[in-house]
Amino acid sequence: MSRTANATLVSATVEFLRKHSPFDRMEDAALAFLGQHAKLAYYPKDSLILTPDMGPPPHFFVVQRGKVLSREDGEAASGNVIIGSGECFPIGAASGQRATICTYSAVDDVFCYQLDNQDFQQLLLISPVFNRFCASHISTLLSQSRKQMQAQFSQRALEQQSMATKLHELCKRPPVTARADDPLETVLTLMGETGVGSIVIVNEAGIAQGIFTQSDVLKRVVLPKLALDCPISQVMSRKPHTLPQDATAYDAALAMAMHGIRHVLAVDDDNLVQGVISERDLFAMQRVGLRQLRYAVETAADIDTLQQVGRDLRQFTMNMLGQGVGAEQLTQFISALNDGITRRVIELNLQRHDLYGVDWAWLSFGSEGREEQTFSTDQDNGIIYLCPEAMDKDQLNMRLLDFARDVNADLDRCGFPLCKGNIMAGNPEWCLTLEEWQEKFARWIRAPDPVALLNASIFFDFRPLYGKRYLANQLHKRLLALSQDNSVFQRMLADNALTVAPPLGLLRDFSTEEYNGQGGYIDLKKSAARLFVDAARVLALAKGIAASSTIKRLERAAKQTGSAPEETAAIIDAFNFIQMLRLRHQHLEDEHGRPGDNLIQPDKLNPLDRRILKESFRQARKLQQKLKVMYQL
Amino acid sequence: MNWLSGWLDRFRPDGKPQLSDGQLERLRRWQALPAHDWQQDSRSTRYLVVDVEASGLRIRHDHLISIGAVALDRGVINPADAFETVLRQDTVSSTENILIHGISGSEQREGLEPAEALLRFLEYSGHTPLVAYHAYFDQAMIAQAMRRFLGIRYQPKWLDLAWLMPALFPDRYCNTVALDEWLDTFGIENFQRHNAISDCLATAQLLQVALQRAAERGIDTPQALAASESRRRRDSW
Repeated sequence: MSRTANATLVSATVEFLRKHSPFDRMEDAALAFLGQHAKLAYYPKDSLILTPDMGPPPHFFVVQRGKVLSREDGEAASGNVIIGSGECFPIGAASGQRATICTYSAVDDVFCYQLDNQDFQQLLLISPVFNRFCASHISTLLSQSRKQMQAQFSQRALEQQSMATKLHELCKRPPVTARADDPLETVLTLMGETGVGSIVIVNEAGIAQGIFTQSDVLKRVVLPKLALDCPISQVMSRKPHTLPQDATAYDAALAMAMHGIRHVLAVDDDNLVQGVISERDLFAMQRVGLRQLRYAVETAADIDTLQQVGRDLRQFTMNMLGQGVGAEQLTQFISALNDGITRRVIELNLQRHDLYGVDWAWLSFGSEGREEQTFSTDQDNGIIYLCPEAMDKDQLNMRLLDFARDVNADLDRCGFPLCKGNIMAGNPEWCLTLEEWQEKFARWIRAPDPVALLNASIFFDFRPLYGKRYLANQLHKRLLALSQDNSVFQRMLADNALTVAPPLGLLRDFSTEEYNGQGGYIDLKKSAARLFVDAARVLALAKGIAASSTIKRLERAAKQTGSAPEETAAIIDAFNFIQMLRLRHQHLEDEHGRPGDNLIQPDKLNPLDRRILKESFRQARKLQQKLKVMYQL
Repeated sequence: MNWLSGWLDRFRPDGKPQLSDGQLERLRRWQALPAHDWQQDSRSTRYLVVDVEASGLRIRHDHLISIGAVALDRGVINPADAFETVLRQDTVSSTENILIHGISGSEQREGLEPAEALLRFLEYSGHTPLVAYHAYFDQAMIAQAMRRFLGIRYQPKWLDLAWLMPALFPDRYCNTVALDEWLDTFGIENFQRHNAISDCLATAQLLQVALQRAAERGIDTPQALAASESRRRRDSW
């Protein structure tokens, strides 16, 4: 019997794997080894592929075709992850040669490449790329967790949002069709007349034979200088991808992503084409919600309308959470829409308060200043202005304060509670001229007592939201010049950033605290997110980095100090994970009618999230360690 | 011309092609192998999916160019358990034909001496149950070559997926259809159509699906599969 692997079979496997991460980056020799040793197996729909009681997994699997469901035992739908074509499992259990935590089963007909355990171990040895892939546990786990969360939210979210729209609802008009032997000229004319982006080529029965799209015109007709009397069949794409018309927009998006195509045909039960869905339709649809909301915000006639929009916004961001949008984008997005609301509130108030001829700007501080808002955010704002020589400063200040108090009150009505610490533009202490602000900042930096340091942690994360941005830029320049020069201040700020240690336990995984007489809590803001935020601020102020967001600060600081990109990426992933937990938690609290807080009980997290949280805290510790070294603390 | 002399061999008194002692010995050894137990459980059976390329589609006039085989052993396809051979051709097949299977003229001329190629196939396959899609063609082309070059009547039992599939999935297609229809149905990709090994791989994946469905219906031996196949053939009359 021949025992060297058949070259054709090997190349079939290699060609497939090369299309997927991490195999696309894998060394040729390692890929060849994989091709020679991977066996192809089939699992019918609903059959079990791998379970915890099988012990250490006998094989490592790469899904060739179909979907595999991984489900954590003993948990309801919360821990479900779908593993698709080109993805592999179980990475952790196979690397650690231990039983899996999850049960893996075939969602539909599944073909899997299987690598025997000994070959898997061998592959780890010969392929640094593969080794790194398996070892970079945190990032892999993070993406898994993101998917889990997607599964957890998607059902509810999908019910209301557009990606669940059926294709037949999405088809705006019947398809424009042509016959295979129609000359190009006719088809192009038809395209021009009807203004459609794609023509479906059908046979006499109405069954689709091909599709020809606008983007094909250039590539297949103009550039090859094709004669216009050629039949369309010569240039059309054959066998266009079809979906039943009651499939969803999500199915269409998935098909497009999987097959790298831009159009999907919706067909009825008789396989007759009912419409064409283009990639653009789907994109447009995803943005509709966002655009509508933005528009609603920007044109809201009064505060009552804005109030309603604020509620829609929360709903919409929840949908995004369900779609698996990452924490960074999501918090930025929340900030962007909150900015929109704030701007509109300011505009509405400007109709009643005349500030003509005054250079002023509305500043946001704290999490809003960093664009890291979560669902429950109270106000942190101020005003910066210049007093024209012709005006009386006290009088102008009064006018600005009147205006600011109205804005503060309206913001409160729109879902941004008043700041308990009274850090609001309506407070005379935070409605200052450029010189006054600069002086204040200089004083805090010169004499960094505890109050000054606390203020630094709020006010030094500022950004202009409305009005003359240049005022804020000048303040920023001044701040960085002062802080970069003052190593005593930096050291004090670093020391302050280290007062809270990551809540990692010595005996247990986490050290938890008591709230309202109940133990087992961790405050994700105070003892998790803040660690990253504070450290990033120190780095930014020390290195003269003008960014106010934590992630941008960390990225730029890493660039300046030349630290390893993977290291920074791991820290940022950790921060994002914590932010995501906060969002998820606040959202769930909100659903249960409780005010969103940041208190979670790690014991109630699923095992995967618990492990990632632990790893995230380790990353926080690493970051703090850096500061310690930098300032010899 | 060799093919002509081979054809003429049939009229020689002994009717046997000339084989070396070594080759005769190998042939005897294959013949002496125990027959496969067709009552054995499918799950522990090794099946061999076979696909041939020939100079054309006429069984009497065209001749065998290559044999590809991919094993499905206890449910999995192992790249190390596959077979591929090209029979040396004295007359290269037509250009149209070459365009179909992609075995070039020089590859055809540089193939193995036919008796040797066939012996290797016998040694590789033993008496493993053979499977093909539209098996009659593969069956006939191989049998014709075996008779001509090894002087044996090669009559193994074949399973034909073209009939087995409609027997197992009557709700999909109730009659024989082209292989591609089934591949489409189960989303199996044939990455290089008309390459014997690639066709075998796709067919072997189809066999994986078929065996699983068969097992669910209690058809769990090669014997039982053969029975449902012939029942399906009979019913089509």
